[in-house]
Amino acid sequence: MTERIRKIYERLKKKEYRKLRNADEFLLSDSVYDEKDLALRSAFRLAEAAKAERAVLFAEDRIGMMRTIGKIPKLLRKEEAENLYRGRFVFDGGQVCNISSDYAGILSDGFLKKRKQIRGQLPRYERGSKEYNELAAMDICIDAVETIAEKYRQEAERMGISELAEALKNVPMHRPRSYYEALVMLRILNFTLWLNANKHNTLGRFDVYMYPFFKADLQSGRLDREKALELTSEFFIDLNFDSDLYPGEQQGDNGQSLVLGGIGTDGKDVFNELSEICLEASLSLNLIDPKLNIRVGKNTPDEIFYKGTLLTKQGLGFPQYSNDDVVIPALIKMGYDEQDARNYVVAACWEFIIPGVAYDIPNIDAFSYPQAVLKVLNEKLESCASFDDLMHALKEEIARRCREMAEATKNIFVEPSPFQSILMSGCIERARDIAEGGKYNNYGFHGAGLSTAADSLAAVRKLIYDDKAMTPAQLLEALRKNFEGFEGVRKACVDAPKMGNNDDYVDKIAAELTEYFADGLSGLRNERGGIFRAGTGSAMYYIWYSESLGATPDGRKAGEPFSANYSPSLNAKSEGVLSVIHSFTKPRLERVCNGGPLTLEFHDTLFRNEEGTKKVARLVKLFVESGGHQLQLNAINREALLDAQKHPEAHKNLIVRVWGWSGYFNELDPVYQEHIIKRLEFEQAG
Amino acid sequence: MQKAIVFSIEEFSVYDGPGIRTTVFLKGCPMRCNWCHNPEGFEPRVQVVKNLNGCERCGACKAVCPSPGACILCGRCISACPKNLIRFSGKEYTAEGLASKLLKNADYLKKCGGGVTFTGGECLLYADFLIAIIAMLKGEKTHTAIQTCGFADERKFKAVVSAVDYVMFDLKVMDRQEAIRYTGCDNAPILKNFRNLCAGGTPFVVRVPLIPGVTDTKKNLQAIADLVKDSPALGAELLPYNKMAGSKYRLVGKKYSPIFDQTAEPNIDTEIFIKAGIPVKVL
Repeated sequence: MTERIRKIYERLKKKEYRKLRNADEFLLSDSVYDEKDLALRSAFRLAEAAKAERAVLFAEDRIGMMRTIGKIPKLLRKEEAENLYRGRFVFDGGQVCNISSDYAGILSDGFLKKRKQIRGQLPRYERGSKEYNELAAMDICIDAVETIAEKYRQEAERMGISELAEALKNVPMHRPRSYYEALVMLRILNFTLWLNANKHNTLGRFDVYMYPFFKADLQSGRLDREKALELTSEFFIDLNFDSDLYPGEQQGDNGQSLVLGGIGTDGKDVFNELSEICLEASLSLNLIDPKLNIRVGKNTPDEIFYKGTLLTKQGLGFPQYSNDDVVIPALIKMGYDEQDARNYVVAACWEFIIPGVAYDIPNIDAFSYPQAVLKVLNEKLESCASFDDLMHALKEEIARRCREMAEATKNIFVEPSPFQSILMSGCIERARDIAEGGKYNNYGFHGAGLSTAADSLAAVRKLIYDDKAMTPAQLLEALRKNFEGFEGVRKACVDAPKMGNNDDYVDKIAAELTEYFADGLSGLRNERGGIFRAGTGSAMYYIWYSESLGATPDGRKAGEPFSANYSPSLNAKSEGVLSVIHSFTKPRLERVCNGGPLTLEFHDTLFRNEEGTKKVARLVKLFVESGGHQLQLNAINREALLDAQKHPEAHKNLIVRVWGWSGYFNELDPVYQEHIIKRLEFEQAG
Repeated sequence: MQKAIVFSIEEFSVYDGPGIRTTVFLKGCPMRCNWCHNPEGFEPRVQVVKNLNGCERCGACKAVCPSPGACILCGRCISACPKNLIRFSGKEYTAEGLASKLLKNADYLKKCGGGVTFTGGECLLYADFLIAIIAMLKGEKTHTAIQTCGFADERKFKAVVSAVDYVMFDLKVMDRQEAIRYTGCDNAPILKNFRNLCAGGTPFVVRVPLIPGVTDTKKNLQAIADLVKDSPALGAELLPYNKMAGSKYRLVGKKYSPIFDQTAEPNIDTEIFIKAGIPVKVL
């Protein structure tokens, strides 16, 4: 880290810059709300926000930018929203979000070219028509971007930061002339998207769309690797300055994901020197943004896995890995063009989306496997003569639920977002807002609680059908009573086979369930002509759905959570990570490829030397070779251990490895638990 | 049929031999090293162990016990505990049963240049079992290793070592009197077996726990280095003492009572080994 970067980093950590924000709430003038056309209103809102923003720079900034106005007001007044929403399906605030802009396109064009395009289109439409308003709104948004850039140019000039002032004479209106200018432009885009109240602003394939600028600079000798690392680091830090203002569910859930590596549109691996610089910058900064994703495949060199693992060691929970060998063919099967499929990125969390062209809503709802299982057990267990009969009934229920969920997405309402539309390919040409759809308009459903459902069915199969250890009525009664007074039943349930132990008895049931889910959605169309994609993620639904769900036959008591995403249940004691990988690569993942990672947790002592780190990297590669689609690794840190002390039941598999041995964290004397925590405190302070 | 008591099987162990390994902990040990971190490995039999963290002394376990003071392993207390704090430590496996369980991951172990490692306790307590299971694993092209303290019957030691692919051999205390004091065992049989190991063709490394003031002294490390430098050992692996060592004693109803200064930092002296031309790493 250079001295200049250290200064910026310390400014971020001290948080004092936040005092420079306006104390007053940012409010829109009434005239904005008077505008009936929502595209125009959105543009007016952005224009007022741009006007209200003050440029703030510090002497050490070369890119900079920070928000000075607070939360951006909603586009609709309360009563207006109530009227508009009536009878409509409104998802996540009714805004365009969680998509990936066509950064490559805008960086190669600059906004001036876009403006020309828009103004060229305008005369084709009648004044006041929807199309005319959309184009006019886009035009206003470009003025707003120009306003912001100009404010920063003047401030840079006043402060004597001539490099930045010079860059801002060119970008964002013209194509960047250097890697540096491209970074400045990307920062303006990112800044403006947040100012435009877009949430979940992904950064896409940074090492693809920035590479031409980087490479040209290296070749001309204008830039060297050190300087590129410094500038990239600055850009990464800048992405963190306004995190507290972003309107996500939880702080950190802001979707600033960035994708590295993977197959390019030409079929060749794109991992390059810039990808390495990104990994290196992230490694030295230890910040939560941007959240790095690495696209890998069976041909990915070991070195990339190793570098990724060094980052895992930091304990931030990324990089997340996506397996091109599974994801690309899956996307093609879903109907994406090969070029687009090869270009996939990761949305806010882990959903696979296509930058620049798709307005997919990959998180529009979540299916709860355990809910379906419990419903079928309650209604049909006593009448099903065989386990096959039960599974058949479940297949029907899942299909019914899929249709019901698909139906519920109809009549969707999404606010227009003219600024985002400029950044999506085809919107200007069609004079149509991205809110109304893109080249792809697919919806995705998460699949929450798979392991809880599979474990439950395995217990039913074993206890009712195979061993005949109890009657259906006894089991159902125990579930209704939340196992109270049925401790013996619960013990038998807990001891039944669990997913994550490489045991076909239960793993095959899980694989079957994913097929039912995929089959249930297959053939359904949404009102935009898109398909419904089945997934393996849970988002926050593993809490939401579990809270209201009664006890399940895997031994889970009412209200206890499912596992997050695609992972073994918290109630299951697992044989270990190799067995987990075996179990979780058995389903045909290309059929449930909306996104959603297997999550593995490792104690950070596993990474304590190069040998250990290399072996973890090898394990990641093993997952990829085995046909896993997505993987997230966590190095367990102090916070997790503190939580384990308070909630030991939720951390049964937390293994602490110290010296040549290991033990379950829960079993250690409290004095030693404290010791580990303190030691981590010490290590992490460094 | 060969049988052994296993108290833990750890998948994905990264410090117990080449590649990614599954490590099997066999229960029972002839030594009582004063710093031992794994008292579950002492007794060569199944035990009932109680995790007292979270125990509210409700008495449910005592109420169902048919034989207080002389456990008959009936397991009633395990079912009775409302917080699931009691479990068996140790499970008996036949060589066939354990081999088939381990072989479920054989594809992964092979791909990652790894295999199965047997440790303990002291795995050589089950020499015949080891010979049987190693043959089964090798029959499926799975790499095998043992980690041993070397305190074992010579004939059995030689038989296991010639069967296995890789050995991690502990050298702890070189002075005979000190060895008896700190490990409860004479080191003469160990040194004898070390010579047997050197004479055989099996690749091996030497493992040295660094215990403050006991094994980490210049004199002791020099004695180890002198012994190893003329041997075919691939290298030495140093394991610095960790202050966590006592954390599992309460689980087995024992008290950890080190007779060395466990607050002292271990002397991680790699120089002695480097000077002797021995490749060394710290685990």
